[in-house]
Amino acid sequence: MSQLVLEGVSRSFAGVRDGAPTVALQPTSLSVAHNDFITILGPSGCGKSTLLRIVAGLDTPTAGRVVLDGTPVTGPGADRGMVFQSYTLFPWLTVRENISFGLREKGLPPADQDRIVAHYVERVGLVGFEHHHPRMLSGGMQQRTAIARALANDPKILLLDEPFGALDNQTRALMQELLLGIWESEKKTVLFVTHDIEEAIFMAGRVCVMSARPGRIKAELRVDLPHPRHYTVKTTPEFSALKAQLTEEIRVEAIRAAAVT
Amino acid sequence: MKPLVPVPRSHRIALGIAFFVVFVAAWSIATLGGFVSRTFLADPMTMLREGYALFSRHGFAIDVGMTVWRVLGGFVLAAILGVPLGIAMGAWKPIEAFFEPFVSFARYLPASAFIPLLILWAGIGEAQKLLVIFIGVFFQIVLMVAVIVGSTRRDLVEAAYTLGASHRGIVRRVLLPSAAPQIAETLRLVLGWAWTYVIVAELIGASSGIGHMITDSQALLNTGQIIFGIIVIGVIGLVSDFAFKAVNQKTYSWALADR
Repeated sequence: MSQLVLEGVSRSFAGVRDGAPTVALQPTSLSVAHNDFITILGPSGCGKSTLLRIVAGLDTPTAGRVVLDGTPVTGPGADRGMVFQSYTLFPWLTVRENISFGLREKGLPPADQDRIVAHYVERVGLVGFEHHHPRMLSGGMQQRTAIARALANDPKILLLDEPFGALDNQTRALMQELLLGIWESEKKTVLFVTHDIEEAIFMAGRVCVMSARPGRIKAELRVDLPHPRHYTVKTTPEFSALKAQLTEEIRVEAIRAAAVT
Repeated sequence: MKPLVPVPRSHRIALGIAFFVVFVAAWSIATLGGFVSRTFLADPMTMLREGYALFSRHGFAIDVGMTVWRVLGGFVLAAILGVPLGIAMGAWKPIEAFFEPFVSFARYLPASAFIPLLILWAGIGEAQKLLVIFIGVFFQIVLMVAVIVGSTRRDLVEAAYTLGASHRGIVRRVLLPSAAPQIAETLRLVLGWAWTYVIVAELIGASSGIGHMITDSQALLNTGQIIFGIIVIGVIGLVSDFAFKAVNQKTYSWALADR
């Protein structure tokens, strides 16, 4: 039933000059069902990105393991697509070449590549920009391309590490709707890391709140707002109640984080 | 003046030319005004006359051709061997650990000091000239390329891994394209150094080339010819640099900074 299972995953980094090791992530367990949209909410430096990188296979846990569809994760792979906070489009490739990067790596016939690329270019609203290089695109367009690039590979699970963190508020709101719209129509298991409470609620089927460093999942909250969700949902009483609840949870952690650093 | 503010293109060209004018003017005043003895420094007019004589009577075009061929030969040889080795060192750390200490050491060996040895080994023919240039630039190319490849943005490498790239795919589809523009710029820079080595190589044990002409002219105290030779080198260097830069900018337009 669960597609992704984290079993007591923890991560600590070796201490500086023989000092005590720094614990970034306390043993964390989490089960994610098929096509669920999970947001991981936490103050900065709480280890939420570390958690996501471990799922992606870009970082190895000190203890515990990650199991995807019954197979333990040992390294990065095409079954887990990732969108980073920094702009990671390949600057030497055009938008369409970026989107087909994984497809070419798989050795898909060019005709199939073209069909898939065209679909996602349309889906993220970049028609007419297929032959642009990343440096000619705005931040929002670059992140839309990055989402298309990850989805074109048809991963089992999509990992997003504060993908809209560097965007301005208006663009960010539009990007949230775009991503949610894609999820509602194409269904995909998603793990979305953010420090923005509104974003966490708006996108999620379930919000996992992380504690301050060393991080662990300290609370989980189901979000039963109906789909398809429209941006106006953000002004409903139900949304406000969830927001108030999470604000309390996260505030305690932010204060703790501030006291430590 | 406000710092870092760009000037219009026309102003920039005018200012660049202006310095050449000032330079030639100062030279003319120093020589034609009689402030410097003609034995030590020829005036611009004499220099041009001597230059014309070099081409029309002494077959200087052949010398220039020889020098250009030596520079290109040594440079291309060093690039063909140095760039792949540098890429391998940048990409695979065990290879870097194996070669890096030796290459760092060899980089400081002065190429000109090898000339007596190289004459002993390779004679005074073309092989010796090419080897001087090769030794002068090969180790520099290797180290600089290794650093460029090694400093590839890690987030791009990680992104490629999450898209299913293999280790070989990372080298071929991320490290190489990402490093290519900087490698091309490095080669442009190194080509300039190759020019200084070729003249050194030609000053000793050569029977043709711009450097050889300069040594001959020194024996005849013909400063006009020496200066003309130096200027020819400068002009060829400038032209090849412009050409190299133009090719780089056209090939790697994606890497142009928005400046």
